[in-house]
Amino acid sequence: MRGRRVDPAAGARAGALPEAIAALSRSLPSGPSPEIFRRAKFDRPDATSALWQLLFRVLSPLPAGSALASIALEVQARLVKSALCSQGYPRLALAQLPEDGSQGSRELLLALSWLLARGPVPEQMLAQTRVPLGDEMTVCQCDALASLGPPAPHMETEGPVDVRHVQWLMGKLRFRWRQLVSSQQEQCALLSKIHLYTHGCHSDQSLGHLSVTEAEMLRDPEGGQQVSGVGAAQNLDLAYPKGLHFCTPGMGPRTFWNDLWLVCEQPGLLPGDWAAPLDPGGASACSLLFPLRVLLRTLEQENRRLEAVLAWRRTELVFWQWMDTVLGTCAPEAPAAASQPTFLPWVPECGDGELELVVRELQTLEEELREAAERRRVAWEAKARGCGRGPEWSATRRASQETVEKELGALQRRWEQDSGPAQAHGPHRLVRREDGAAGDRDLRAAELIRTLRSQEACLEAMLHQLQGQCRQELARVAGALPGLIWIPPPGR
Amino acid sequence: MLPADCSRRLVAELQGALDACAQRQLQLEQSLRVCRRLLQAWEPTGTWAWEPPPEPETNEEDPLPACTPSPQDLKELEFLTQALEKAVRVRRGITKAGERNKAPSLKSGSFVTSPGTTASTPPQPPGQAGGHASDTRPTKGLRQTTVPAKGRPERWLPSGRDRTRVGIGARAPRPGAGLRNQHMAPSAAPQAPEAFTLKEKGHLLRLPAAFRKAASQNLRLWVQLSSLQTSDSMDAAAAKTQFLQNMQTASGGSQPRLSAAEVEAEARRLRKACSLLRLRVRKELSAAPVDWMQEYRCLLTLEGLQAMVGQCLQRLQELRAAPRSCRPWRPSSYEWPCWTSRSTWKRCFWKRRWGCNRGLQR
Repeated sequence: MRGRRVDPAAGARAGALPEAIAALSRSLPSGPSPEIFRRAKFDRPDATSALWQLLFRVLSPLPAGSALASIALEVQARLVKSALCSQGYPRLALAQLPEDGSQGSRELLLALSWLLARGPVPEQMLAQTRVPLGDEMTVCQCDALASLGPPAPHMETEGPVDVRHVQWLMGKLRFRWRQLVSSQQEQCALLSKIHLYTHGCHSDQSLGHLSVTEAEMLRDPEGGQQVSGVGAAQNLDLAYPKGLHFCTPGMGPRTFWNDLWLVCEQPGLLPGDWAAPLDPGGASACSLLFPLRVLLRTLEQENRRLEAVLAWRRTELVFWQWMDTVLGTCAPEAPAAASQPTFLPWVPECGDGELELVVRELQTLEEELREAAERRRVAWEAKARGCGRGPEWSATRRASQETVEKELGALQRRWEQDSGPAQAHGPHRLVRREDGAAGDRDLRAAELIRTLRSQEACLEAMLHQLQGQCRQELARVAGALPGLIWIPPPGR
Repeated sequence: MLPADCSRRLVAELQGALDACAQRQLQLEQSLRVCRRLLQAWEPTGTWAWEPPPEPETNEEDPLPACTPSPQDLKELEFLTQALEKAVRVRRGITKAGERNKAPSLKSGSFVTSPGTTASTPPQPPGQAGGHASDTRPTKGLRQTTVPAKGRPERWLPSGRDRTRVGIGARAPRPGAGLRNQHMAPSAAPQAPEAFTLKEKGHLLRLPAAFRKAASQNLRLWVQLSSLQTSDSMDAAAAKTQFLQNMQTASGGSQPRLSAAEVEAEARRLRKACSLLRLRVRKELSAAPVDWMQEYRCLLTLEGLQAMVGQCLQRLQELRAAPRSCRPWRPSSYEWPCWTSRSTWKRCFWKRRWGCNRGLQR
């Protein structure tokens, strides 16, 4: 490395860099060898394909699985480019790289470092493939909201729809909700029994009882009896352990939730870090049933990677200094012209349509407000001229202004604050505890339920308000048509 | 009939919710199956090659190497045997004696006489076993007992039908436990007709030592990692920021482009703002002020709301006009099945690529 040979003081750092890179490569899943990094600095072509694959692995929203391995390199490269682009990657040279893996390893190295600098990538990847030992439950709504997101257009070209079809769908949905509720109640009852019966036998005192995973492992260490008949799974498919969410807080008997704590086993996760894997079929929750030796092996692998991540965090400063030199060897790019990347593999339709809607609504609102405010202002001025102008008059006016400002300020805060006070993210382990001893990040289920209930109440209030307004609007419209009798549907 | 665009949205939302419900239901049913099976009687699976867990059997806590037991242990053993005999008598009074399965097909450890098994067959010399065989014979008549539940402090597992539990569970941390287990097991060898249920004997389960070690190390490492995150090194953070800035300037752009995720978040916020504002406006417009003060306040509110709406609109226009990166890369779930076979995937991909010409940013 040129920089280091010139600088004598860097001799002390000379050993730290290979160490840092080695730690990094150990901490990433199927990370390339440190040699690849060195070759990439010199833009050697043989390092390119390994880096494409690593970037794909890091950026792909899918958890690791056999499906990923079978994708061709060009496809991976294209997806990587698109993903980086959507994250706002600044360098254009990457978009212009050939996708056959013949050149560009230095650019790829820069891209990898960019990702590493922006977020805790090794930790995120570890969190994705973590083995859940306990009964897990998520406390945040992130995955639920993310999966709702842009609705998959099942029917691309549907014309106007009969409102009865919508009502039928709504009824079907309500029925499914009821089914879910009863299943969850049963689940809560079963879990509570399992926790109760295995109380006192966990080696970790703070946990106290076994989870379903642990009990299942004891019951069937060979994993011979799989629910889905998969058989003794030799290779642990870590793709979908998170598919097993046991409960939604609040549903089910209160006795279940009373003594329940949600123990945070992965503290420090931010919303972006933990991403629920896309679960196409939901068919692999049977991977819950781990044979003992496979589980042990996976745990130990995870431990090795955790140690590597810790080593990486300790030594990463050297890496960043080195990356600055790598960046220095690249030629500076021309400012981004109008040339946007011309590839967009699979871009679901979203974003712009929604914005348009909001713009239109706001514009109509603005019109309405302008008209109403002007009218009232004129009326008010006329009235105010009639009254006197005393000191208490202006004092009252000021007081009113302040009140209104405060109210409007509160209103604005309601949408500017994305979420409530630092909500915990990621999966938590369900633990039944009587006493109050808890880690600082552990949540009481009862409190969580209270918070959720208050949020629910807010949303219900909003819904009622909206419904009331709709009814008024309908009545007004119907009233304007002579001879029309409007029978509103029975309110709920 | 509902208008086309709003009906499409409605139906799409409802369909999405229905699919999510169905998925959740599937997951719940699978976990329900697992839980129900756990709560029933545990059957032994015939394929068990009953062997000690991967870790070598040596109990760290077992202070008895291959030497003769101390008199203390012998005495304790004596007590234990008597207690067990008493328990047997009590039980005989309660239940009929079942069949004694004298020959479970297990690899027995160091016992010559008894066909029973030892859970943790520590590598103790056979001589020791043989020496105590006479002591254990009276205990062979023991049924599977719930003696431990009757106040024995150390927990061991009843053997019998659930052989692996014995293998896994007999990690009693007391000194001499290994010895005790050795002698407990043959006494428990006679098969009792009752199977292992979580309800009765769940609290006797023990996790294997190897697993415990790995799990506790795992937890410790995660805690270390999180504490490292919270107290992040300032130098490293500064170096990272510097690197990102260098990247930005090297590519000529002074302002980092908005990532698609940020745009989405902003759009979501503005959508929420719109609905809240609309609600408020309706409320104000439909309110009938009684006196002039209320009227004044109503007026001020309306004007304030008008200003806020204007601000939101401006922000939205900025968002639309800003040079954005590509749209969020989030292939929806219905596209994934295409991945299962390369050929169908390629077909799907090429169709999209050439079918919808979304090359340039709008």
